Amino acid sequence: MRTYISFSAKAFSKQLAYRSEVWLRLLGNFVTILIQAEIWRAVIGHGHVEGITVEQMITYSIINTLLMSLLLHGISGKVDESLKSGSIASELIKPISYPLFLLFDELGNTIYQLLFTVFPTFIIALFFFGMVPPASLTHFLVFLIALLIALIISFLIGYLISLLAFWFMNHFALSWMLRGFITIFSGTFLPIWFFPSSWVTVANLLPFQYMGYIPAAIYLGSIPVQELFMIIVAGGGWIVGLLILVQLLWTRAVRRLVVQGG
Amino acid sequence: MSIISVDGLTRTYRQYRRFPGVMGSIRSLFTREYTEETAVRELTFSIQEGEAVGYLGPNGAGKSTMIKMMSGILVPSSGELHVLGQVPHQARKENSMQIGVVFGQRSQLWWDLPVKDSFDLHKYIYKIPDATFEKNLTFCLEMLAIKDFIEKPVRQLSLGQRMRVEIAMALLHDPKILFLDEPTIGLDVMAKDQIRQFLRTVNREKKVTIVLTTHDMKDIEEICPRMIVVNKGELVYDGSVAKLREKLGNERQVVIEFREEPGIIDVQGVTLLQEEGLRKTFLFTRNESSVFELVSQIAAKHYVEDVSIEHTDIESVIRRLYQQLAANQ
Repeated sequence: MRTYISFSAKAFSKQLAYRSEVWLRLLGNFVTILIQAEIWRAVIGHGHVEGITVEQMITYSIINTLLMSLLLHGISGKVDESLKSGSIASELIKPISYPLFLLFDELGNTIYQLLFTVFPTFIIALFFFGMVPPASLTHFLVFLIALLIALIISFLIGYLISLLAFWFMNHFALSWMLRGFITIFSGTFLPIWFFPSSWVTVANLLPFQYMGYIPAAIYLGSIPVQELFMIIVAGGGWIVGLLILVQLLWTRAVRRLVVQGG
Repeated sequence: MSIISVDGLTRTYRQYRRFPGVMGSIRSLFTREYTEETAVRELTFSIQEGEAVGYLGPNGAGKSTMIKMMSGILVPSSGELHVLGQVPHQARKENSMQIGVVFGQRSQLWWDLPVKDSFDLHKYIYKIPDATFEKNLTFCLEMLAIKDFIEKPVRQLSLGQRMRVEIAMALLHDPKILFLDEPTIGLDVMAKDQIRQFLRTVNREKKVTIVLTTHDMKDIEEICPRMIVVNKGELVYDGSVAKLREKLGNERQVVIEFREEPGIIDVQGVTLLQEEGLRKTFLFTRNESSVFELVSQIAAKHYVEDVSIEHTDIESVIRRLYQQLAANQ
């Protein structure tokens, strides 16, 4: 365990080398939230649509923008790079689990983001836009669990894409497609409660809503207390399913591994 | 008990066919035609504990593929491979605790971190006990003179410094076997010497089994009593350096400078290779008579200014072996 935590620590301190980026990220997040807030103000005005007020919609946008900085599906870029350069060889000759190495490395980045981007953005957003409080204590506690599920699912999906790159030797198209799926079906931009019913069915069949819509909707209390349990169980089900899938793919991927160059 | 045993080992790669040009690249999208390239073909050999083996062959002979299979990161296509009694790719993690691997062309260090931090991280990854770690670190720091730059980030090191660090790191966890893939590539003479001396000590005194690939024959001469030569994935020689020299070294090149044009030299066992005016290079076939005898035969007939006999270093022995291999195809 100590080993893996030190991977996180290394990733964290590596991020410190690019400190000037922090300001850009803060600005980027501020602009993203501002645009969404303005859109919802224009769309909803002072009343409410489908029982949702402007204040709730702005809170929804803030939660989603912050969540995006924390999710872990970005690992496919890292794996792709080490496949292409062949540096995956150096990672595989160590007595460590490759997926855990990736997870903890990425967690180091996430903790950095949490401290230097997410937390400051949260303060700024609170000051400029305001946020509604969580619907209830239960909702808030379940929201925290949902955040954890979002992190795990995003990691597993990113890892799945990375493993597919062993076959295609390129992750770009896959990641591009993934980003499309996440943007739409996670409900990050347009909450699923605004979706037409046939699209709601599709969104419900995919794991992406756990990476945006579900945590935010739980926070706002749009999901009634009695449904929370099932939603968390279903999230756990997605995690187990994805774990089995990546395990199967991994054994096959290693057989296919071709170390590039020398 | 052999520490590494290889029996009929083969590794093939699938090379998908690509067509040239823009139309060709579109065509490549729709065909799955491929050719099988064999990087390692039916190899059989074994290595005993404590040996130092040079693994050499021309570019593309499958040396790196072999190192990668032995270290457990590539899966063989067929055949048997055992390292320390286990199949490397099946027991990748256990295997990696027992071996050290150095890729000359690929760094395993953390680019942004000081050398010291890389060592510390290595300690956690390999779960090295404090005492062992301190002992090995002191040994490596001293022998490889790493102390001066241990606080520097890896990216600021020269290639020679970095290579010393890579080798030190591969030995911190007391591996039984050390695999080195071209450890001296691109280094200056001093750095090469230092590394060779160190590897010799590690092999002779610490009894670490060493398998190294290289193109620099001096590496072999100074570190490895035994060598395995491969070509196009196949084994072409396995034995001592001295034996190979005997096998191939019965020819010598002799350069003779004449005072005046000697005309045609007609001595048995002597063939003219090239001439630059009065300076002529001959090939002497040694098994008939000694070089000295042949030279004196020539000197008896012609006025000889100077004679130099080419030193048969291992480099020229190997060159001859490669030439023979190429000629036999």
